[in-house]
Amino acid sequence: MKTYRKTIVFLILAFCYVGIQARTSPTYAVVGCRLVIGNGTVIEKGTILIRDGLIQSVGPAADLKIPPDARVIQGEGKIAYPGLIDAHSQFFLERKPAGQGDESETDEAADLWKNAHVNAYDFIKPKKSTREDLHKIGVTTVVVVPGREIFAGQSVIVNLNGDIREEMVLKHSYGLHINFVTNRGEYPSSLMGTMALIRQSFYDARHYGLHAGLYKESPVGLKRPAYNPFCETLLPYMNKEKPVVFNCGNMEDINRAVRLVEELGLRGVLSGANEAWRVADVISRSGLPLFVSLKFNPPSSSRYVRLGEDLKKKAEKDIYPANAAELNKTGIPFALTSNGLVKGSDMLKSLQSAIKAGLPREEVLKAMTVRPAVFLGIDDVTGTLEAGKIANVVLTEGELFEEKSAVRHVFADGVHFEYEAPPKKKAEQSPAAVNITGKWRVQGAAPSGEKAVRIPGQGTQGRTQ
Amino acid sequence: MIKRLLFFCLLILSGLTFLSAETKKSGVIVIQGATVVTVTGDPIPGGTIVIEGDRIAAVGKDIPVPAGAVVLDATGLFAYPGMIDAGCFLGLQEIRMVRATVDSQETGRVNPQVSALEALRPDSMHIPISLSTGITAALVLPSGGLISGKCGLIKLTGWTTEEMTIKDPVAMVVQFPSMRGSRRPSDTPQPPSRNLQDLQEIFDQARYYGQAVSAAAADKALPLPDFNETLQFMQPVVSGELPVLFNVHSEKDILDCIDFVKKEKIKAVFMGVTLGWKAADKIAEAGIPVILGSMTDMPSSWDDGYDAVYRNPVLLHEAGVKIAFSSQSSSLAKDLPSMAGKAAAFGLDRSEALKAVTINSAEILGVAESMGSLEKGKLANIVLCDDDILELRTNIRHVFVEGVEADLSTVYTELLNKWKKRHKKPE
Amino acid sequence: MNRRFYIITVVFLLIGTALPTFAQDVLIKNGTVLTVTKGTIENGDVLIKKGIITRIGNNIEAPAGFKVIDATGLYVMPGIIDSHTHIALTGTNEGTDAITSEVKMRDVINSEDPGIFTALSGGVTMVHTMHGSANPIAGENVTLKLKWGKTAEDMLVSEAFRTLKFALGENPKRANSFGPTRGTPRYPQTRMGVIAIIRREFLRAKQYKEDWDRYNQAVKKNKRLIPPRKDLRLEPLVEMLEGKMFARVHAYQADETLEFIALAKEMGFKIACFEHVSEAFKITKELVEENIGISIFADGWAYKMEASQGIAYNAGYATKKGVLVSINSDSGERIRRLFNDAAKAMKYGGLNEEEALRLITINPAIQLGVDKIVGSLEVGKHGDIALFREHPMSIYTRCEKTIVEGEVYFDREKGGEK
Repeated sequence: MKTYRKTIVFLILAFCYVGIQARTSPTYAVVGCRLVIGNGTVIEKGTILIRDGLIQSVGPAADLKIPPDARVIQGEGKIAYPGLIDAHSQFFLERKPAGQGDESETDEAADLWKNAHVNAYDFIKPKKSTREDLHKIGVTTVVVVPGREIFAGQSVIVNLNGDIREEMVLKHSYGLHINFVTNRGEYPSSLMGTMALIRQSFYDARHYGLHAGLYKESPVGLKRPAYNPFCETLLPYMNKEKPVVFNCGNMEDINRAVRLVEELGLRGVLSGANEAWRVADVISRSGLPLFVSLKFNPPSSSRYVRLGEDLKKKAEKDIYPANAAELNKTGIPFALTSNGLVKGSDMLKSLQSAIKAGLPREEVLKAMTVRPAVFLGIDDVTGTLEAGKIANVVLTEGELFEEKSAVRHVFADGVHFEYEAPPKKKAEQSPAAVNITGKWRVQGAAPSGEKAVRIPGQGTQGRTQ
Repeated sequence: MIKRLLFFCLLILSGLTFLSAETKKSGVIVIQGATVVTVTGDPIPGGTIVIEGDRIAAVGKDIPVPAGAVVLDATGLFAYPGMIDAGCFLGLQEIRMVRATVDSQETGRVNPQVSALEALRPDSMHIPISLSTGITAALVLPSGGLISGKCGLIKLTGWTTEEMTIKDPVAMVVQFPSMRGSRRPSDTPQPPSRNLQDLQEIFDQARYYGQAVSAAAADKALPLPDFNETLQFMQPVVSGELPVLFNVHSEKDILDCIDFVKKEKIKAVFMGVTLGWKAADKIAEAGIPVILGSMTDMPSSWDDGYDAVYRNPVLLHEAGVKIAFSSQSSSLAKDLPSMAGKAAAFGLDRSEALKAVTINSAEILGVAESMGSLEKGKLANIVLCDDDILELRTNIRHVFVEGVEADLSTVYTELLNKWKKRHKKPE
Repeated sequence: MNRRFYIITVVFLLIGTALPTFAQDVLIKNGTVLTVTKGTIENGDVLIKKGIITRIGNNIEAPAGFKVIDATGLYVMPGIIDSHTHIALTGTNEGTDAITSEVKMRDVINSEDPGIFTALSGGVTMVHTMHGSANPIAGENVTLKLKWGKTAEDMLVSEAFRTLKFALGENPKRANSFGPTRGTPRYPQTRMGVIAIIRREFLRAKQYKEDWDRYNQAVKKNKRLIPPRKDLRLEPLVEMLEGKMFARVHAYQADETLEFIALAKEMGFKIACFEHVSEAFKITKELVEENIGISIFADGWAYKMEASQGIAYNAGYATKKGVLVSINSDSGERIRRLFNDAAKAMKYGGLNEEEALRLITINPAIQLGVDKIVGSLEVGKHGDIALFREHPMSIYTRCEKTIVEGEVYFDREKGGEK
């Protein structure tokens, strides 16, 4: 198992390496920045060396020698973070898998739910603007999840290292995605039918696997199993080799998913889950990985939207954005995802309101770096700024997730992207009286460009020029 | 299945032929010993009611029995005026999901030309059931569309529509256009809905049509307007002769409707008025009476409270609105007393609840001079029962409609009696 | 981190378990206690400890720490039980296939349905919430306690019978054409077909059971045998044949009801209860002989052809004849006035107050197999209680408080929930 995994990682790395080799991939030295390693360590004045798409070494600036071939990026006043990981997204899905609105293409409505074999990879169309939007909030790695069918298909993990699909792939098939949805007009037309179908499908896969296994052992005297592509696809999931990700639209969906995982003995993952705090005990007992969506709209089933207008408004504004903060209080580990959000900028807004609702910033960082890396099984290659890992690095002016901060440099697989700080819209207006002391950073609108300035002392108010 | 229906009808027919021959002969009936709940006055314990022909000749205590009168000893019973269902589909809907048996809703939106009573089936199996619950008169409604048609008032005995008709038409039924998606009053003023514009236009055109018709009548040289059925049948409405029964529910719609009524200077009655409590003062101020819809409606919004529909009657009453109850049903039209009782459970005074199925209904429908209370000179619509008439467990013993005791057998009792034979112990 | 997690968990567990237990200790004082099975106690008290009734009588003192609910002037009755409804579910029918025995209402409990609150406002504390009637064989129903605000898991009543929904007549044959109608009409389209398809499925289930039995025997000798395919559609039917689950059968007409009784005997499964049975008054003889209860409307009738003889005397008459009758709502609205519906059987059928009360308390409890824990006010049963102003059989009554296992889930004084 372990070696298998290592091989995969090796292959992936090799693949990336080859991909990146195709372009010029210089060696970089990011010098003099604050290094947030992601494992709890922070180096105040540090240097990262990036070579061949990997982090070659990390350490205090004083200790590291800058290689002569390195292109030096001055990190003075900037902060380096591990690239963020969005563990459940629908970004880059240009073409939709069959059966999602393309009625002209197929009439076999009854089989629409059998999309298990579909891989999001086949439907990805890289898009520069989307990639840049994600980079600008610090995201370097996303899991692209296909479709919204019951058996929606398999997801792909991509690194945002450019706009060539093949080169982006970090892991081709991460997990099987299941949605608690129905098949209008055909079986299953109800949620209860969907539940029954999910169960029956996995039992069928198990039966198929049993038969195929016996036949493989020795075919003599055994009826030949008929090839069944659906069961074939489900087999590794039924056998716990790969995770099954349940998209949970409300708290009862979480209960449903946990029950299915237990009944069927799956390697389950809970995603969506924007009502997770309401069933924290169930989640905690299940011990399943949890991908919490940053989409805060209360589900239509929620009592918070059905018991009057006042409560509904409160739910949208205060209650649901506090999901992650509440979960954090219970100690349940979770990752944060864009699941359900359309734009990268929505993700940042959501992150900011989650922080406002009481989620500590360091928890947000964990929930978008090490945690998803562990949950996705890619923590050996990414998630922290440690030597030997993929060079997914984000260099910011100001702390991540802050309204006034800006991502200025992104390395994905060591490929360097540089971004201008966003223009200050209200530069002429008198600044709001915000207390910005200590480690806060503020951009000055100097003619030469934007600069991060450390504000010394305490109680300084207003803009520094 | 048709056979089965016919069978019911036969059963009912055979039941109705057993009308008391005795009471018919003498012409004078005296009900003695009952607690007489007159509705308009105080209850009279051990009271007497004298019926002469179809009218009440006397009500009170210690009234001498006229010679030759048939005396009914009602000691221990209560006498009430027959209840009035101020809105139902009796005789128009037999079996709701079997289209062939439903005649309450005409197709199209504008149907002032249709009259509910012209489709009435006197032999409906539901009518005797209401009658046997102490309901002696009912307003039969057309439904649907924008202008549904004319409603009429019937008594619940009689062989033909003609025999049953008390007043026809009573009103034009209009489903007052609702502002779509405006359950919550919006801050920004919205333009009137398309339907409201249409309604306005029909009224405007009808007035002009009427003007043209009367001008042409006065002056033969003037041309008659092109015949227009809708405008023709709207004449009694725009002239103010025929009231309009507006089915209206939300606060905003109620306020709009009050404006419409004032502007058009028409006689109006509101029906439904689920959210009437939100505009109770305005309705009272406009002096428009209200026929409440079914008390089994659910509140339209959680914010209103779980008992909003139950509390609506008392809140309207306290604001000074005249209210009456309606069943809005045919197969469960018998539940009318429960509507009033439920309102009483949620704060409406019991005597007011009783008024809202008797005298108030009569007043709203314009027949209070002849029914709605036990008073001298009114029609002898009398119910004798063993307990409070609004109570669920109360048994109705006798019902007089216009002085004639009614047969209280129903399809319920006929079917039960038929099948009881099967379960008799074999000899 | 770990330690913090541990502490938080402990604190949570303490809050989670200690508080409700505390709330479940309650004394209901000085009401007219309608026990239903053991008569009426004037000025009576009901003591509930940890959700269970421990004493009923007069002048009971509240032990320390018990909450006291003053019921002076109120009627104290067992929580109402609705033997047939569809609230608290996400979806009612899997109406596509004629046979959908694989679906379970347990999977689609919607604990957030405001219908739960509506039911509580009418004194209802327990419901048997069911699959719809679109299919001859539908799905497995579920019995819930109405603990508004808690999750589905908290509401499940594990003591209740396991029941499978069947439907006969107009609905499964699609006479009133609801559900998907495009394409070829779904088999069956007649009452003949409805009975035939149910028989077919039971024959299939028998064979399925036989296949498994044979496999289980043979595999002992030959490990290389392939087991039969696990069929979730047939397994519930096997469980019915094994007596682990009972039929709840939507049937309006007398004829189809009798046909189903015959089919159940032919196939060898048990019927827990018939639903609606508008024409039960015609076949009380058989219902008594077979000891099958009915769960019916008080007077809802004539909305469709097969309900056109659903006379209001049905409940009262059948009760007098010895049939176990419950009055159900089948509706998210009617559920809040089941006490009114029960009272109708006093007028139509001549039941007394206690007999009428039984229709919505102990009788449905017996039908659901939970009469040992609920359905009447007796020591040892759950503290599921409704407090009414006026006698619950009066139209002037109204529910003031609804209590489940000693906890108040509806309180009119507090404007319901808010």
